[in-house]
Amino acid sequence: MNPIVPVARLDIRSHACPVTWVKARIALSRIAEGEVLEVLLQDGEPRENVPRSAEEDGHRVLRLEPAPEEGAGTWRAWLLRGASPEDRAWP
Amino acid sequence: MALSEVEIGRYARQLLLPGMGEAAQVLLRGARVRISGGGLAMAPAVYYLAAAGVGTIWIDDPDEVKAGAGAGFALGPADLGRQRAAALVEFARGVNGLVAVDLFRPGSRPTALLVCGATLDVSRAIADEARLLQLPHVVADVDGQGGAATSVPVGAPCYSCAVRPGLGAAATAEGGATVGALAALELVLLIAGASLEPRARRIEVFRGTPLVRATARQPGCACAGPAAAGLAP
Repeated sequence: MNPIVPVARLDIRSHACPVTWVKARIALSRIAEGEVLEVLLQDGEPRENVPRSAEEDGHRVLRLEPAPEEGAGTWRAWLLRGASPEDRAWP
Repeated sequence: MALSEVEIGRYARQLLLPGMGEAAQVLLRGARVRISGGGLAMAPAVYYLAAAGVGTIWIDDPDEVKAGAGAGFALGPADLGRQRAAALVEFARGVNGLVAVDLFRPGSRPTALLVCGATLDVSRAIADEARLLQLPHVVADVDGQGGAATSVPVGAPCYSCAVRPGLGAAATAEGGATVGALAALELVLLIAGASLEPRARRIEVFRGTPLVRATARQPGCACAGPAAAGLAP
């Protein structure tokens, strides 16, 4: 199996909602469809909401795991970019 | 150019809206909007354009601030007798320090117009100017029951094709707030490329109930002339 190689890395541990997901969404918009973004996030609200928001926006969560080597309470998410969320129309 | 950290923080909630995102916000930042007409929708529209991050806003209003003209949230007693445009410039700068707000001056080159005429004739004249300059524009009409916002992308059926006179009741400040906010949103969506189809449309608000309809070119209207040729309907 080929290893997954993120093309970009984003650290949102110092941010709070909604900026956590906003920054992840912008970072996803800067990579190509099918590429992977690595996101470092805090346990708790960011770990729950950022992956969920990514899936709601049409991306895939490939991995969500603790990353203690990055610091206490840190989690790592690998997000596979789907179709551009900016192409979506208003509901 | 990408958004800065400060801009991302400032527009975080707007960036989450469907159809919005970094690219759309950058388009807003690069826009230069002239807002003119002197109607009741002007102050609310200025507020929303500034808050949304329209990069340059030029205010065009020759009147003075009068008592009982609404917009108390923007213009206070100390502003009575001042040039309304200057007072609104000051107000808008306080709303969002990331955008440039100034008086409209001849020679300025807007990329879009927001028309807030105090009368239909004033709105018609400004909208015609925007059409001839091939600038996207939105017209806010306020009446006693609410009002309407007419979106006119470049080459679309013009405001005169779309407008329907209201019932003639005197415009209210509440209608101005509603329609001013709505018209500003319509222009933001046009600039950001995020508006729903039909993009050429008129949203009429009657006692709080909105009705959306696509606009259609009236037979013989001047907007069907060479300026519209080859452009999107």
